[in-house]
Amino acid sequence: MDRWFLLIATLLAAIGGIWGMVSVHRGTRSHWTVVWMVAVLLCQLGFLTIRGQLRESCPLQDIGEILVFLAWSLTLFYLLIGPAYRISLLGVFSAPLVFVLQGAALISGMLTASPTRELSPNLFHSAHSATSVLAYGALGLAGVAGIMFLVLDHQLKEHHLKSGLFRNLPPAHELLVSLERLLWLGTGLLTVGVIAGFLMPRTAPVHSHLLVALAVWAGYAGLLAIKTLRGLTGRKLALSAVAMFILSLVVFARI
Amino acid sequence: MELLCLGLNHRTAPVEVRERFAVSTPQLGAAASNLASLADATEGVVISTCNRTEFYLAANDAQQALILLESRLTQRENLDAKASSHFYRKVKSEAAVHLCRVVSGLDSMMLGETEIFGQVKQAYQAALAAGTTGCVLNRLFQRAFGVGKKVRTETSIQEGSTSVGNVAVDLAEKIFGHLKDSEVMILGAGEMSRITAQSLVSRGARSIFVSNRSFDRAEELAREMGGHAVRFDDWQRVLERVDVVISSTGAPHALIHRADVEKVRRARKFRPLFFIDIAVPRDIHPDVADIEEVYLYDIDTLEGLANEARARRQLQIEHCERIIDAELAKLNLPGT
Repeated sequence: MDRWFLLIATLLAAIGGIWGMVSVHRGTRSHWTVVWMVAVLLCQLGFLTIRGQLRESCPLQDIGEILVFLAWSLTLFYLLIGPAYRISLLGVFSAPLVFVLQGAALISGMLTASPTRELSPNLFHSAHSATSVLAYGALGLAGVAGIMFLVLDHQLKEHHLKSGLFRNLPPAHELLVSLERLLWLGTGLLTVGVIAGFLMPRTAPVHSHLLVALAVWAGYAGLLAIKTLRGLTGRKLALSAVAMFILSLVVFARI
Repeated sequence: MELLCLGLNHRTAPVEVRERFAVSTPQLGAAASNLASLADATEGVVISTCNRTEFYLAANDAQQALILLESRLTQRENLDAKASSHFYRKVKSEAAVHLCRVVSGLDSMMLGETEIFGQVKQAYQAALAAGTTGCVLNRLFQRAFGVGKKVRTETSIQEGSTSVGNVAVDLAEKIFGHLKDSEVMILGAGEMSRITAQSLVSRGARSIFVSNRSFDRAEELAREMGGHAVRFDDWQRVLERVDVVISSTGAPHALIHRADVEKVRRARKFRPLFFIDIAVPRDIHPDVADIEEVYLYDIDTLEGLANEARARRQLQIEHCERIIDAELAKLNLPGT
């Protein structure tokens, strides 16, 4: 049943993304993107609830669950931020990433076929996993906003203003504001996740996974410090958000 | 009962003729009453904008009413018979199609403009309040408003900006979103920069700085726009804080170079900066556009964008006319 929810969520994300892109290509705004993404979120919740019940803990025990949790977090932040800032197009850009993450989770071997109950769930371990993955959702969405800014910036610089995409993209300033807020939110959540990580019981004194997480946190914190204290061009901020999210996925490789 | 329309507009009459028939907004109701009192007429609406004055009537005999109305108007204004060449006359279904074209912005000087919709609505409301509309004109105008809305939602007749000033303002909004937090500097107090800056102010720009070689002229324009005058030697200092720069000086060479902008980048914390160069020769060196956070548009680019929008609107006319014909064919409007 859990896989069915995941499969439906993945198909809905694909349809939502394609629908949105076709609308953008035609120069119209896809008002259905938000509806598709709500449906995606509900299916993701169905999947995570079933896995959580089977595990009797936070469903973040295998790489498949982590990828779905990340996709859920991305969808959640999009739904919280997208409509509020009138940037519904963010959904069109987020849907492909959600599709890729969930598609990867559906690959054989990514999800444990019969998830078992965790015997002694640790509070710090659960807090570390949950807040870290939530943080990556916000940071992933910041990366998506960054891509949108880079597209708009290129069009404005090169005077390519005829496309439907240009007409539908939100103003550059709104994209940068959303991007920066998502970076603050993601870094804040990551701070909690890293602290919880150092407090959870470990087999070795310093776990390499935690060191990578700490490096990612330092990278984002440094980026925000530079932006706040010195200032940063929109293009550099957006490129950094995209590059750092891709690099931060190394953390998952270290799990 | 027959529907008829007598009118003159920017295509048929010069401004010195149009102004003689213009009716101020508060007088629209009285003018409609006057029109409806014409022998044989039962209903009347007067539309008057800067580009047109039109009289819509419902009368038992349209041709007779047209002759009467025309002679009354020319007599009132002491015009000779030649003046009637400025008028166009539409009867029955022609009049209905014409009103739909007017409401949809197809007959406007700036094709697809939206202001006309409100102006016609205002004229109809005035006539309604004056009690000069009945079953013919009520159905006609209500239908025309419905058709006008349909044309605007189903076609792209109002898409894109068709003037340099509006193109610049649309771009500013694409960069900064709401302009209420944006500050604007005008370099050179020419007419074009004044019009563009006024468009930015009308969309909410927070403050305007005017810098000109003649400080008196800068002060005059600043006063007119509710902004601040800046001495010409000081414009670089103001560049640190503004978001939009509109330049149209008469300088024979570039005034703003890459180095000028590089100097203030740090102080600006690398915020986006939008340059609108409407001067010929250009005031802003093209190298300035190589700076990451700078968006530079010159007069040719802005004109090109306005022309493209106008061409796109032209292509929509046929589609709009099909909608008008189809919508009017659905109903059997009285008087047509």
